[in-house]
Amino acid sequence: MVRTTRLGTSKRSVLAAVLCCGLAPAQSSLSVASKIVTSANDFLSSLDEGQRSKVLFEFNDAAQRMKWSNLPTTMVPRAGLKMGDLSGPQRKAAMGLLAATLSQRGFEKVLAIVEGDEALRVASGGRGSMFGRDLFYISILGKPSVKDPWMLQFGGHHLALNITMAGLDGILTPSLTAAQPAKYTVDGKTVRPLGAENDKAFALINALDEGQRKQAILNYRVADLVLGPGQDGKTIQPEGLKCSAMNLSQQAMLLDLVAEWAGIVNERAAAVRMAEIIANLSGTWFAWSGPTTNGMPAYYRIQGPTLVIEYAPQPLGGDPTMHIHTIYRDPTNDYGKKSIRR
Amino acid sequence: MRRMGIGALLALSLPEGAAAHRLDEYLQATLIGVTRDATDLEIRLTPGVAMLPVLMAVIDQDRDGRISPEEERAYVGRVAREVELRVDGVPAPLSLIESQFPTLEAMREGLGTIRMKLRTPRSGHTLRFENRHLPQVSVYLVNCLAAPSDGLVVTRQKRDEAQRSIEFEYSFGAGAAPEPRAAWIALAPFWPAAIGMLLAARMAVLIYSGKHDKRTSKSSTS
Repeated sequence: MVRTTRLGTSKRSVLAAVLCCGLAPAQSSLSVASKIVTSANDFLSSLDEGQRSKVLFEFNDAAQRMKWSNLPTTMVPRAGLKMGDLSGPQRKAAMGLLAATLSQRGFEKVLAIVEGDEALRVASGGRGSMFGRDLFYISILGKPSVKDPWMLQFGGHHLALNITMAGLDGILTPSLTAAQPAKYTVDGKTVRPLGAENDKAFALINALDEGQRKQAILNYRVADLVLGPGQDGKTIQPEGLKCSAMNLSQQAMLLDLVAEWAGIVNERAAAVRMAEIIANLSGTWFAWSGPTTNGMPAYYRIQGPTLVIEYAPQPLGGDPTMHIHTIYRDPTNDYGKKSIRR
Repeated sequence: MRRMGIGALLALSLPEGAAAHRLDEYLQATLIGVTRDATDLEIRLTPGVAMLPVLMAVIDQDRDGRISPEEERAYVGRVAREVELRVDGVPAPLSLIESQFPTLEAMREGLGTIRMKLRTPRSGHTLRFENRHLPQVSVYLVNCLAAPSDGLVVTRQKRDEAQRSIEFEYSFGAGAAPEPRAAWIALAPFWPAAIGMLLAARMAVLIYSGKHDKRTSKSSTS
């Protein structure tokens, strides 16, 4: 459902029409929310009493809500249920819940990140016990409901999905996606979990004219995420090129890039989110640090009134392009705080 | 390149987990918070796994392999002396508000972050911050926090290439930043373009999905 609180009727109608025709699938918000709740209850039903007590938390459990990191779970322990401790059917039910909550592309991206960690485990040999697909955790805060707020968390090394379901809204912020290795092969096929985030950004920076690039490219190195894990509630002064100084084609490229994060969640929730980001596009900034040739390590940030995205290659003992961290935030609605108030 | 080479060598020789986090750099991240009557510096110091011996040589003054409360205080004091804040061109005295040290074990694993908060009861219109602490082994981040609810407006941000220093001008407007409603209304002339972009983005997504689906059907990653 489109957020309607402050929109005029005509704009609301136009937006609704556009979203219905353009972005959102035919399913209603209620049916999407119902499907997610059903999947959550299916997962919970597959667990025994002890497992349920481990996976369920109070919705207001602030400590659990903020217990996420880019680091391996052996270093920064997560609570909830570990994938490696689930039976086959339980694991399938957990993945079913994730699939119902996310878009197909988002689900595939998450699987690619998880499998990347599995590839890291295999490549690390005896030193790989802190990596792998078995070391990802799932937790649920609150009682799954189409009416009352609840939250699904799924994460581990290089992944933290914090999805707040507030009525019919699905809020994905804050979430962290990352990849190491950023490129690996499965059955001879190359997988790049964050390849689109890289390629679309390089396409955008190279679509800017010289004057625009001069504004967008920062004159300093950015060695890490500024607003990564542990930096909830903070916002920094924006820099770079303002989107109002981009032409329509460049703005469309930027939105397409933003959709790599906003589109992780299911299509209905993503459509609402993208509409909000578009509404604030004129106040959104694009900043870049590093070379502009694809294949080289470069940091970028997209920041608007309701959006912070950072993409940061990590120079940790090797090729920075093979180790990427990203963060996705909404400073006005992280953990669904705005939606819950409504 | 030299740093990358060293890093690759270290990755081969360091303990399990070293590949997961910072190695041969000392990350010094500073967030600057300005209000109408004070300026805060929130500094996070994260030594990479290979940096701990370097840092211990600085912190562990009695060389007993531990960090005592006195050594913590001395180190935090040193950092405070090696950063400089100028408000309207005049050096501003900084008081330590709080500091927090991680365990040595956490730092050995590259997970430990030293946190400290400094404050000066001064505010003005221009600010310059510089961090001169351990430049040979450090990488820096420095940013000014946004405070739209206070009407903070920051302009002319300038940094050096390594982000050891930042300077900017700032002022405080009448109050709260525009609500989202104002943003929607301000966008009115932009609506046709926004709709076009939305559809263009959707088309791009569909094209991408089509290609992606083809790829996916050829190879599954799970």
